[in-house]
Amino acid sequence: MDVAISGKKIIKVAKNIPENTAKKTINLKGYYVTPGLIDMHVHVFNGADTESYIANALTSLPPDGFTFRSGVTTVVDAGSSGWRNFRQFKKQTIDESQTRVLALLNIVGTGMYGRYEEQDVTDMSPTMTANMITKMFPDILVGIKSAHYWGDFTQVDLAVEAGRLAEVPVMVDFGEHQPTNSIEALFMKHLRPGDIFTHTFSYGPNNRETIVDEDLKVKPFVFEAQKRGIKFDVGHGGGAFSFRQAVPAIQQGFLPDVISSDLHSQSMNSGFKDMSNLLSKFMNMGLTLEEAVLRATWNPAQAINRKDLGHLDVGTEADIAIFTLRKGDFGFLDIRKTKIDGDKRLETEMTIRAGRVVWDLNGLSAPYWESEFK
Amino acid sequence: MRFFLIICFCITYNMQAIGQEYDFLIKGAYLIDAKNDIRDTMDVAISDGKIAAISKNLPVNLAKKVIEASGLILSPGLIDPHTHVFVGSKSKTFADGFYSVSPDDFSFRSGITTVVDAGTSGWRNFGTFKTNVIDASKTRVLAFLNISGTGMSGDSTQENLSDMDAEKAYETLKLYPDILVGIKIGHYTGTDWLPFENALQASGKAGKPLLVECHLPEYSLADQLNKMRPGDIITHSFEEIDERLPIIDSEGRLHPFVKAAYERGINFDVGHGGAGFWFSQAIPAYQQGLVPNSFGTDLHHFSMNSGMKNMLNVMSKFINIGMSVEEVIEKASWKTAQAIHRTDLGHLSVGAVADLTLLKLHKGDFGFIDAGKNKIEGKYKLETELTMKDGKVVYDLNGLVANKYH
Repeated sequence: MDVAISGKKIIKVAKNIPENTAKKTINLKGYYVTPGLIDMHVHVFNGADTESYIANALTSLPPDGFTFRSGVTTVVDAGSSGWRNFRQFKKQTIDESQTRVLALLNIVGTGMYGRYEEQDVTDMSPTMTANMITKMFPDILVGIKSAHYWGDFTQVDLAVEAGRLAEVPVMVDFGEHQPTNSIEALFMKHLRPGDIFTHTFSYGPNNRETIVDEDLKVKPFVFEAQKRGIKFDVGHGGGAFSFRQAVPAIQQGFLPDVISSDLHSQSMNSGFKDMSNLLSKFMNMGLTLEEAVLRATWNPAQAINRKDLGHLDVGTEADIAIFTLRKGDFGFLDIRKTKIDGDKRLETEMTIRAGRVVWDLNGLSAPYWESEFK
Repeated sequence: MRFFLIICFCITYNMQAIGQEYDFLIKGAYLIDAKNDIRDTMDVAISDGKIAAISKNLPVNLAKKVIEASGLILSPGLIDPHTHVFVGSKSKTFADGFYSVSPDDFSFRSGITTVVDAGTSGWRNFGTFKTNVIDASKTRVLAFLNISGTGMSGDSTQENLSDMDAEKAYETLKLYPDILVGIKIGHYTGTDWLPFENALQASGKAGKPLLVECHLPEYSLADQLNKMRPGDIITHSFEEIDERLPIIDSEGRLHPFVKAAYERGINFDVGHGGAGFWFSQAIPAYQQGLVPNSFGTDLHHFSMNSGMKNMLNVMSKFINIGMSVEEVIEKASWKTAQAIHRTDLGHLSVGAVADLTLLKLHKGDFGFIDAGKNKIEGKYKLETELTMKDGKVVYDLNGLVANKYH
């Protein structure tokens, strides 16, 4: 297919668009063209509060350094901020970034300031959270996050209540309970269809119930939950992706709905590395390129109710990624420092955000330097 | 029988003790170590964060973990001498601002273990930089101190002559000798030479180099180079924008006074940045004998996604322009360490800190862009396989040190 872009938009997608209708033609024979990737789970509320963990802190990363070089044009911050500090996040990161930054608002008012503050049930206001989403920033805030809670289902239930009020999905990071809480109860009773379970392939059985049991069988209710409409998100991170969960799950036909990174300073140099590496990892576990790309484009766009994103229909903003599929001998790490071998790896050749080239690895869009003297 | 058991126990115990001698053994890589004049296949052992042994053949049973590295290049951890990493939340500024970037985001995945911040902070805000970034980063962060008291904090304050205090700058250098490697001057639009003289004075008193950036439009390039001492560093060497005379004239010739300064011992850093590197400068300069002494990236918010991308990409450009892989790596490690007077870094001598990287030289069809969005084609590109800092694996692209899942 040929794709034509004018200004910020896609204006034509057809089998053969004549070159003389374009100011600039980029020849992409042999490359893969996809909608700009959506990374549905990141932490990008970067700031200089050295007391804080993720909110306005160094554990969060400025997004532009990681997105375009891996084909990502939209990121969704997963609850780094809550209603009390979202406006600071917007001012210092969202408004300053070239990447489209959307966000899930933490049910905790101060977001991810620290594990201790995240336990404060009196700071989990469904009304204030829902109001910030619906009345203040409906174009940026696409859902709610519940995470890091040490107790029972109280935090999840408050987040779901906020989700009902604002009519948005809730993403749950459901761990750090001792003893563990039942994920079957979470999927079947507490969450609604459309709500999102993240860190799907995490393995830390002491404080987080796993989806694959010790005999490497996917628990039957996990398939039921996916049928019920619970969305399963990867959220790789620095501690939440293990092959001993993912490989058996995929072999038994359980595929995640969304492939996302959980980008932050402790995950960036781990087995995750970047989104193109993460998609490649799933391709080497058995997914086709199309199946992997779907889970980082149209699937997350639907999960966050942003159907204007994740596809290349005429009239949409021209967010586009262009990949090379490298063949060779590669390795892919999980967070337990075990690896699989692989024979393919996606590399980001070019990324276009709102019609502008924002990454061009090998100069596909550039003239040769000698042309300066002609 | 009991005697026999005791003997068995002793042997087993001893073998374990021997087996734990090295934490890592890197086997079969092509080692490039300029300081020790090695360009050869070597085994390198690491223990307790230090280089423990280097030899043609070290036995694998002495190591807890063997890294099979045949076909890879082993280099001392690379040093990026020109970055802006005083990251913070202030909008539209470098000092404590969004225009700087976090060092760990870019360093290890490019084989870098040490970055040098190029004067983003001055004597007034270096403390904040140290607390917020230097102490909080895994990358070794060194810095040139800006002669301007508030560093790169915005045009009005950073050009305040009374804030360009040579004595205050010198005192700060004395307070942090392990972090501060010199003085930088970079942004001044006036005609007064006082800032330059103060910068020379503060660095000279400390016995450390001066780094000169290009945003000094009223100073002629010839005057700047004439005032600089051997060992001082000029960056953005290959820029072609109107704030400074380009080193190549309109006929494609290297200005003789530039060549003379180079031969006098002024160090020319690339300082690629978003606008500081042009093939129309770098290629003629290289052909006429001006080879950069270091590959500073000028990493910041606007250069990271441009033709710069990362330091290995900048180094790869020069391989494709004509430098040998060995020469490029030697300059990005040992020569850069020497330029910043940190001869504890940039080599893999026994006893040195185990900062190192394993690189792969890919052969294929690649392209490289400059600041004018013009490109060259190339056959070579370096990629980081693994990076180790203080003897710990901090980046492992393909799982060289990992066990198989099954």
